[in-house]
Amino acid sequence: MTDNRKPRTVSRPIAGGSTQEAELPSSEVAWRARVEPSESPFAMGLRRLRKSTTALIGAAIVALLLLVSIFADVLAPQSPIASDQSHTFERPSRDYPFGTDQLGRDMLSRIIHGSRISLAVGVSSVLLALFVGVPFGMIAGYYGGRVDSVIMRVMDLILAFPIYLLAIILMVIFAPTAGLIGTMKVTGAIAIVRIPIYARLVRGSVLSIKEKEYIEACRAVGVRDWKILLRHVLPNCLAPIIVTTTLGIATSIIVEATLSFLGLGTQPPTPSWGWDLKANVAFIQSNPWISLFPGLAIFVTVLGFNLFGDGLRDALDPRLK
Amino acid sequence: MRTYILKRLLQIIPTILMITFVVFVMMRSIPGDPVVALLGDAYTEENAIKARHEYGLDKPVMVQYFIWLGKLAQGDWGSSILSGRPVLKDVMLRLPVTLELIVLSMAVALAIAIPAAIIGALRQNTWADYTATSVAMIGVSIPEFFLGVLLLLVFSVGLGGMLPSSGWVYLPGTCQTVVCAAGLWGNTQHVLMPAVALGVGRAALLTRLLRASMLEVIRTEYVTTARAKGLAERPVILKHALKNALIPTVTVMGLQVGFLIGGAIVVETLFAMPGLGTFGIDAIIARDYQQVQGFALITALAFVFINLLVDLTYTFLDPRIRYA
Repeated sequence: MTDNRKPRTVSRPIAGGSTQEAELPSSEVAWRARVEPSESPFAMGLRRLRKSTTALIGAAIVALLLLVSIFADVLAPQSPIASDQSHTFERPSRDYPFGTDQLGRDMLSRIIHGSRISLAVGVSSVLLALFVGVPFGMIAGYYGGRVDSVIMRVMDLILAFPIYLLAIILMVIFAPTAGLIGTMKVTGAIAIVRIPIYARLVRGSVLSIKEKEYIEACRAVGVRDWKILLRHVLPNCLAPIIVTTTLGIATSIIVEATLSFLGLGTQPPTPSWGWDLKANVAFIQSNPWISLFPGLAIFVTVLGFNLFGDGLRDALDPRLK
Repeated sequence: MRTYILKRLLQIIPTILMITFVVFVMMRSIPGDPVVALLGDAYTEENAIKARHEYGLDKPVMVQYFIWLGKLAQGDWGSSILSGRPVLKDVMLRLPVTLELIVLSMAVALAIAIPAAIIGALRQNTWADYTATSVAMIGVSIPEFFLGVLLLLVFSVGLGGMLPSSGWVYLPGTCQTVVCAAGLWGNTQHVLMPAVALGVGRAALLTRLLRASMLEVIRTEYVTTARAKGLAERPVILKHALKNALIPTVTVMGLQVGFLIGGAIVVETLFAMPGLGTFGIDAIIARDYQQVQGFALITALAFVFINLLVDLTYTFLDPRIRYA
């Protein structure tokens, strides 16, 4: 029997290794292990992200928008707030690629400048919610008991509200205004309604991580709680946080546009897509294009963040490895 | 089962108390009060004090809340400060409009999501799947009001005013006053665009979710068994796989109620519909305290009831789930 003479070619599964591995001479296995050191989860995530077409399209849209909002002053052909009564309701032309509104303002310039409000509110409201929600979620999950129930009951209270109802009432309380202060108010209102999402997410991850042996080992050697939380617990729940953050920016941008649409966002003259859409709907019968462009801008922005977030999720989800 | 439903109905009370109390306190922390808008040109310090006393606005907030609660227990939702009309009557008049909008938009959502998800899951990684998932991605990213504007552009502006851009015709039997127009055809014309505008976003979300859970379910052993015993593909998918895949979807549908209420506010504003959404936003902006309380109450009730409905749907989808 050939099998008896060459036992090493028989492919039989060995616990902990694949059948192919068992066929290889032992030295080759060791050699392979040396040149292919295990990838860090983030390197792996990045590699998988680069392969995903949708994520790349999303990243490209987001990058383009960032550039547009940073260089808005240079890119916009005209002032977004200067009205020109001799050129009201211009159709899209070479001088006014997106037309003009009822005050004769150039829609292209308004949309370019409007990207600042959308991106600023979208990104900073999520970051704000993150900076409040993540610590609360970590503390609630790590310490448990009474701390946990107090924090989570407050979060449940916020979550019990329909998100728009709370955001609308908060904006009425804050009294919407124009400019930077007005933008900060919208950011605050959206951040408040989104804090519980991060607190819950992080608490859930912490609950499972804190039972791991390496955390027990940390405690056994006397590492302080805050150090365990920051250096050992937090990095291990980063993946879901990153994904939720990216997708959260998309939601925040929609909420901002909705608030503006209802007249409760950043007030004019500050250009805002939601407000422009709403203001121009009244003239939709005679001038259909002017409410089209702000709406398209919101749609493309949200799509960009959604595509990017989706790609990130696929790249960082350990179940898909 | 009956005791479970009773227990759940009792649990509604604290939730309702909490939501209405928080809204009550928040509304009163807004600078300014409705008296200014009420009196208008007749505003003087003296008149304002008199009006505040008349509406009980000079009492401490807690006292005001308990007065409101006491009246509510007797079925009195108070009267709008600005219009003077009973809040309950207005809510009842507007409820059918919003209810019709939400039910139809959910129907639109399911009518799109279920076939799209089944096609996506059964033909995973084919062009049909890619089309379904790409369309879903676009649907998730499009805000209701922009979709509404696009529909307006096509059906009200473009196609020669095929569908009306604003206003409302009541469903026969839902209008409690004498003056409003009612009719099935007119109602259909008016509700079509708002329901699609509100439904498509939900459809997209549900498609993504249902596709993912269908993918999980069709790889389970009982589906293989069902196929192995010679069952046709149709009952395998519709009776065995879909029913189980629907469970997480139903949960999310329940959680979407909050978004639907917000969506209703936006869509009703865009299409100028006399529903609860416009009722609520008008009240909040005008600081009509009683009307806001009425809106918060009906919203909270809807929220809790729909979540109860969701929990009861589980028993239908998976008979192993029982509530003792």
